Amino acid sequence: MNAVEMSNFSAWYGRKAILDNISISFVNRSITAIVGPSGCGKTTLLRSINRTAEMEYAFSCRGDLQVFGKQVYQIKEVDTVRKQVGMVYQIPLALPLSIRENVLFGPRYHGIREQSRLDYIVEDCLRKVALWDEVKDRQCDAAGRLSGGQKQRLAMARVLAVEPQVLLLDEPCSSLDPASTGLIEELLTSLAEDLCVVIVTHNLFQARRIARQTLFMLDGSVIETGPTDALFSNPLDERTRAFFSGLIG
Amino acid sequence: MNRRRLVDYVQLGFYWLSGLSVLLVLLAIIAYLVWRGGPQINLEFLLERPRGTPLGSAGGIFPAIKGTLWLVFWALFFSVPSGLVTAVFLSEYGSRWRIAGLLNLMIQSMAGIPSIITGLFAYALGVVQLGWGISLLAGGLALGIMIFPVIAVSTRDALQAVDNNYRLLACSLGVSELYALRRIILPRAMPGILAGILLATGYAAGATAPIMVTAAAIISSSSGAIFEPVMALPYHLYILFNEHISMDNAYATALILVVILLIINMMVLWLRSWQERIKQK
Repeated sequence: MNAVEMSNFSAWYGRKAILDNISISFVNRSITAIVGPSGCGKTTLLRSINRTAEMEYAFSCRGDLQVFGKQVYQIKEVDTVRKQVGMVYQIPLALPLSIRENVLFGPRYHGIREQSRLDYIVEDCLRKVALWDEVKDRQCDAAGRLSGGQKQRLAMARVLAVEPQVLLLDEPCSSLDPASTGLIEELLTSLAEDLCVVIVTHNLFQARRIARQTLFMLDGSVIETGPTDALFSNPLDERTRAFFSGLIG
Repeated sequence: MNRRRLVDYVQLGFYWLSGLSVLLVLLAIIAYLVWRGGPQINLEFLLERPRGTPLGSAGGIFPAIKGTLWLVFWALFFSVPSGLVTAVFLSEYGSRWRIAGLLNLMIQSMAGIPSIITGLFAYALGVVQLGWGISLLAGGLALGIMIFPVIAVSTRDALQAVDNNYRLLACSLGVSELYALRRIILPRAMPGILAGILLATGYAAGATAPIMVTAAAIISSSSGAIFEPVMALPYHLYILFNEHISMDNAYATALILVVILLIINMMVLWLRSWQERIKQK
């Protein structure tokens, strides 16, 4: 089943077209990687799906975008979309709260009050991102003191705490060391057993390691998409071939 | 020594000179005030009402200190809530509304209004139209209007200085923008906001023109009753000086006022450094 479905979707900042007639789908319970040179619209594509793109000045879009069969841009409460579609950003950033309150930031807003339930969420989400053992004795410490890799895992825990069905990640490992990167890749693989995971990455090896599907974008268009192995070993489009061989990028 | 190096040295020397001269002016003012006013300052001067003939040639300045504090309180009462709300609108919602540009322009212009004109406006509105008379409330209104732009602009800047990624990150969790503002953005900007408010407080405490026409009296107990006139440090200083009542007491009053302002400004600096420390976390 497809978790996200876009057809003829275009987006603009002001008059500048960022996404041009995109028609793609993201499979549920699977990892899809999006690759392409900087400025090709990858981030805007992700932020269109969780509707945070509209927080930017003069954003507009047209076309069809469905998440689990629902037209995202016809939903009145934008909060429900963002809750359903979680997103982790490039810069590892903790909210200026304690580690525990970082995880509970979403759940508290969404009305969970019961202490035992909150405790459960904290432990469950931190365990899912393999952070529990590292921080269980200092949950109330400021999250700002964590390392970059820990912050990025905390960001994932924060998102998981609101129980999204789709997880978008925008170059989550670009500022992390190889060990932290490896850990996050493992986590994504296990999360993809339940969720639709979409990751934007500049690291082609990373796409190759974890993604079942890969999608190549250039200048706001999707050039080619397919199973990762096929796309890497035998790209059909000349531009995809050029990108993978390092001629453009 | 080559020419380029020489130019560097001349430039550097110039910077040092201008920095030192500013410092010297400040130190000279304080030293002079301490020299001329210091000997008059004792517990009686701080805690007694003005006495003697002409009034103010003996006794103390307690009602003026109290009056200044009351004026500042009402100035903050009038300007802080409105300034904060305006700043939140400009910073968090402004970019989406065309009116924000106009509002920014108006606030900038408001900051440029001479304070005596603000005073006359508050006189026309509060003293005459609303029938408050020459009163603490009218003075507070005048000072409030005067410091409103300071508070609005400094708060707006403090909010805008908060990393935009926090807003994005919080909203991506499906919380409302106002919730993110309350729990993340405002606490994060708080030291900067407080610093701006304190700066405005100092500005209000030292202002003379707006209260001359709205609130100040030569003698008053400054009880805090809102429809009574009050004494205020800058106005008391002006009277002592202008009427040649007592130069010594004028300098002593000036010293107290400057000390209060210095304390406020030191608190501003401390808050700013706190803000910097928060930012690095």
